[in-house]
Amino acid sequence: MPSAQTWDAVSEGQEFELVEASDSQRLVIWAAASGDFYQIHYDDNFAKNNKLPDIIVHGALKGMWVGKLLDEIAGDNGWVKQWDVSYRGMDIAREDVTIFGKITKKYEQGGEHLVDLEVGVRRKDGSVSTPGTGTLRLAKK
Amino acid sequence: MADVMELTPEMKAAVGKPGEPTLYEVTSLGIRTFARAVGYKNPVYFDDDAAKAKGFPAIQAPPGYLGMPVWNPNKPSGRQATFESPFKRNLNGGTAVEPLERVFAGDVLEAVTSLTSLEIVPSAAFGQMMIRVSETVYTRKSDGKVVAKTRGTGLSY
Repeated sequence: MPSAQTWDAVSEGQEFELVEASDSQRLVIWAAASGDFYQIHYDDNFAKNNKLPDIIVHGALKGMWVGKLLDEIAGDNGWVKQWDVSYRGMDIAREDVTIFGKITKKYEQGGEHLVDLEVGVRRKDGSVSTPGTGTLRLAKK
Repeated sequence: MADVMELTPEMKAAVGKPGEPTLYEVTSLGIRTFARAVGYKNPVYFDDDAAKAKGFPAIQAPPGYLGMPVWNPNKPSGRQATFESPFKRNLNGGTAVEPLERVFAGDVLEAVTSLTSLEIVPSAAFGQMMIRVSETVYTRKSDGKVVAKTRGTGLSY
């Protein structure tokens, strides 16, 4: 889990990661949290009858894992200003995925201390299913 | 050869037109379930005392959690389709979130969604695909503040 960062302490190119499990129980909890009850995410037979190899991870959950990574970097004294992700591919459930962020720009704007990041969800084989970007306001030391 | 679909006048007219407001309730149960599903550990998302120690009125919603629409099987959702899509299968193409204010348990948000762009494009996999981009603005009922904006991309084929 990344620890909260201050603007002074981070640098362009710095990377952060966290690993998330995608077991069926977690997908069911997400279904309850999000209201997305489409059965391809928790019903093995339904998924297979829809030509999927197994149940798949909700796209929105992947997006919110990216939000969590950003929130943990920002900490209680920072702020997640925005993030966006594109769901370019399915992630089969029951496999761990890595949520990553890399600082691409560190700057001041309008009195705020900001960093831009390249973010995403990476599969075990190294491919990125869910690329995106984010911007954080970080606390000064 | 399959028919080539084009945007109808009805579809074009839907772009830029805000939908009916939908109420979203932000409850402590909803926040905790969301935070548990995403895997948060920060106590301000779970523990009333930790949240109050930070000066918050109640547990805070993690970024991206904007409550759940009020479910009533006897009333239509505010997010009714404004046109009939010729494509029957849908995929979530992407999400963008812009948190603007802290959101807490007990907040009631009014969400208004506008379709900002709509196009039908060639698709190697499906022949054609419809791409819809919509933006939703969430306003807290108690103080009138816009607390977040989101953008969603929907793919239909």
